[in-house]
Amino acid sequence: MNILVVTEQHSGAWNKTSFEALAAGQQIAAETNGRLAALVIGKGVAALGDELAGAKLDEVFLVEHDLLEAYAPDGFTIALAQAIAEAKPDLILFPHTYQVRDFAPQLAASLGKGMIGDCVGYRLEHGRLIFVRQMFQGRTAADIGFEGAGPWFASLQAGAFRGDKVAQGAARAPVKKIAVNLDAAQIRSKPEAPFQETKQAVDLTQAPVLVAVGRGIKAPENIPLAAQLAKLLGGELCASRPICDEGWLPMDRQVGSSGQTVAPKLYLALGISGAIQHVVGMKGSRTIVAINKDAHAPIFEVADYGIVGDIFELIPALTKELEKTKA
Amino acid sequence: MPAESPERERLDADVLIVGAGPAGLACALHLANLIRNHNESGAKPELSAENIYVLEKAREAGAHQLSGAVLDPRGLAELVPDFEKHAPLDSPVTDDAAYFLTRARAWKFPVTPAPLRNRGNYVVSLNRLVKWMAGLVEQAGVNLFTQFAGAAMLYVGDAVVGVRGEDKGLDKDGKPKENFAPGYELRAKVTVLAEGPRGSLTKELVSRLGLDGLNPQAYAIGIKELWEVPPGRIAAGSVAHTLGWPLDSSQHGGGWIYGMRDNRVSIGLVASLEYHDPRFDPHEAFQRYKTHPRLRRVLEGGTLVRFGAKTIPEGGWYSMPRPYADGVLLIGDSASFLNGQRLKGIHLAIKSGMLAAETILEALRSGDASARALSSFSEKVGASWIKPELWRVRNFHQGFQHGLYAGLFNTGMQMITGGRGLVDPMRMRPGYEEYRKIAPGEPAPARFTGDGELTFDRLTDVYHSGTRHEEDQPCHLHVADTNICADRCATEYGNPCQYFCPAAVYEMVREGNGQRLKINASNCVHCKTCDIADPYQIITWVPPEGGGGPNYEGM
Repeated sequence: MNILVVTEQHSGAWNKTSFEALAAGQQIAAETNGRLAALVIGKGVAALGDELAGAKLDEVFLVEHDLLEAYAPDGFTIALAQAIAEAKPDLILFPHTYQVRDFAPQLAASLGKGMIGDCVGYRLEHGRLIFVRQMFQGRTAADIGFEGAGPWFASLQAGAFRGDKVAQGAARAPVKKIAVNLDAAQIRSKPEAPFQETKQAVDLTQAPVLVAVGRGIKAPENIPLAAQLAKLLGGELCASRPICDEGWLPMDRQVGSSGQTVAPKLYLALGISGAIQHVVGMKGSRTIVAINKDAHAPIFEVADYGIVGDIFELIPALTKELEKTKA
Repeated sequence: MPAESPERERLDADVLIVGAGPAGLACALHLANLIRNHNESGAKPELSAENIYVLEKAREAGAHQLSGAVLDPRGLAELVPDFEKHAPLDSPVTDDAAYFLTRARAWKFPVTPAPLRNRGNYVVSLNRLVKWMAGLVEQAGVNLFTQFAGAAMLYVGDAVVGVRGEDKGLDKDGKPKENFAPGYELRAKVTVLAEGPRGSLTKELVSRLGLDGLNPQAYAIGIKELWEVPPGRIAAGSVAHTLGWPLDSSQHGGGWIYGMRDNRVSIGLVASLEYHDPRFDPHEAFQRYKTHPRLRRVLEGGTLVRFGAKTIPEGGWYSMPRPYADGVLLIGDSASFLNGQRLKGIHLAIKSGMLAAETILEALRSGDASARALSSFSEKVGASWIKPELWRVRNFHQGFQHGLYAGLFNTGMQMITGGRGLVDPMRMRPGYEEYRKIAPGEPAPARFTGDGELTFDRLTDVYHSGTRHEEDQPCHLHVADTNICADRCATEYGNPCQYFCPAAVYEMVREGNGQRLKINASNCVHCKTCDIADPYQIITWVPPEGGGGPNYEGM
């Protein structure tokens, strides 16, 4: 099986979930005795391609063009279709990012192929590749397989695979440029400058560490304690619904079924009871640490480490220890 | 809120049915069939089923439908004669039993009381049944508009001329968002309100036109969970009803447990909204109900599949509003077509819808949809099997207003007098007048949290109702004066809304030295309990933006 992982970068900076897709590609390649290639698309991305060449894979493709510098769905669709025609993969994997959601279905449809989106896993059954996808807010999982000839398209949910598990290669993989033909007239949308977020708006899904506050924080005046802890840990501050409902933190910091779904390396839940609505938004986190004074709080069922205690004792204590290590 | 915008689009229909439940869909289907026969016979004017519009606020038909349920097939058999071949009936009833429960024991009635005997009936999922009926209705050419709610009645004078659809795309403050679309003015020769228990349009219409029955409408809250249990725990088609624990003898209500196919179990508790303790918590009572050894035995080790709640109009014959006025008919639960003794309403909803369809055909043929013409609906009801069934139990619910034992005695008396009993009609106060004030300083009960395996807290249950709403929309729960919540109600009744709402919509949160009401509108499961049970009657439930609400798959 020939596998192609399409990575994502913005102005030379990786969208880190690309490595999760790469890790998945490596696993599938190993299990199917297949070949793995990775692809970088954009302009001026040779350095990124070199970086990928150090990973354990067979080939790196660079797809560069002036018209690919700014993302536009038509440009990416046409360019990648050409790259696929040349690289001839059987399976194309993407990280399930906003950008992928925008162009990948168009790409698959333009080739008359199907796509399975937002997969949380896969398995091989009698040599057949089956992807697993959640349905109904994670309450059931569906097994989906492809029918007919490839190439097949699939995107992987953030956090479903571990980006840090990407294996390094014994030797550097060759980096090959794929020339693509693109005409400005083919790109129907005019990409504008990326939306500059206001100071408050934050993409929680990119933070490696999240410090979350719940009702246990009791008052808005106490939130800076948690914010400082987040800063020391190199992460972001987020909250469960009641905090955002009260207006103590803006809605874009809400984690949960009516907020964002996150999967950071570390999720520190302070004074959060762990109602299902919140847990579905963070249960994919690598390590969950919970502090709550109620020993029966449901959060302890998903936490890897838990302390039954008073957050107003423990936050200052943690902060003090972290400051020591920084000193 | 641009309620009086002149830019509203207008659609004209012959018939507008608000609500795609068993009553509304039966009306639509039967009317479509009657129209077909009418046209085939060459009668004039020629009519079309396409001029029948059905509005449904849920995302799809059936999503807001919840019931136990054990269906008496009588109504369905008239509507769809070969229903047994096609309708999604879960299991024929194979066994029925009635129990009186105490905390630890269960006493089986040696003979299941007649109203609770269910041979010949079917255990069904109302959600599935309604989905199937909606398919038939659409096949018949009727226009079914899901995700559209009726926001207000349209009147010319006191005559109903249609319904205004809801405005879509308003934000939390009532200001138009990018996707703003003003509600249509849907005009119809005849409007049928089939909104289910405590319909919001029905409530306004009945009040405005003075259509109330002799007694106020009376309601119970029904709380249900659907479980999947290990095989062999309960047979499909096994039906049991219980009285007693966890309700005390001053409370009217009871529980049920029905075995369904594929190892599923429908279990629930019904509690009349006339209880005296303003801090009684029906959701908690239901959770504790499951811990009874008899029920724990069935459920232990199983999985919660779905949760839901809805109110039941159980006031009986004398509480039914007059079901007709100029240009409008009321059917199904909206008009309280329900047998509170048998706990069955689906067959009556269907029959009422069919009789309404017959009335409407006459009105369309004659061009007269005045109250006088539409009053033939009441005559048809009186001449059908609806009347004897409901007449026999006309004082049943009211007989329980002084407690369980008086109620059983009254029921006995009614049974040997064709429903008359000792007092006919037996009058009753509205349920919200039954609360006893709390003593000053009386501590609030500890809130139930559940063990997470057999019993659950509200938030977990709400999650399992599949309820979703567009978050950025005006709050659909209108509380006329929230100062009452913080002051009077807190002192007099301890804010019952926190206890009677099964979906944790209402919360009293601390603010400074006092409290204020916080409304978590997006949790709402559309049961209408708050509109019914609030002691000051200051809560008005209106439909949120169409498409929002629970997803009662399989319920």
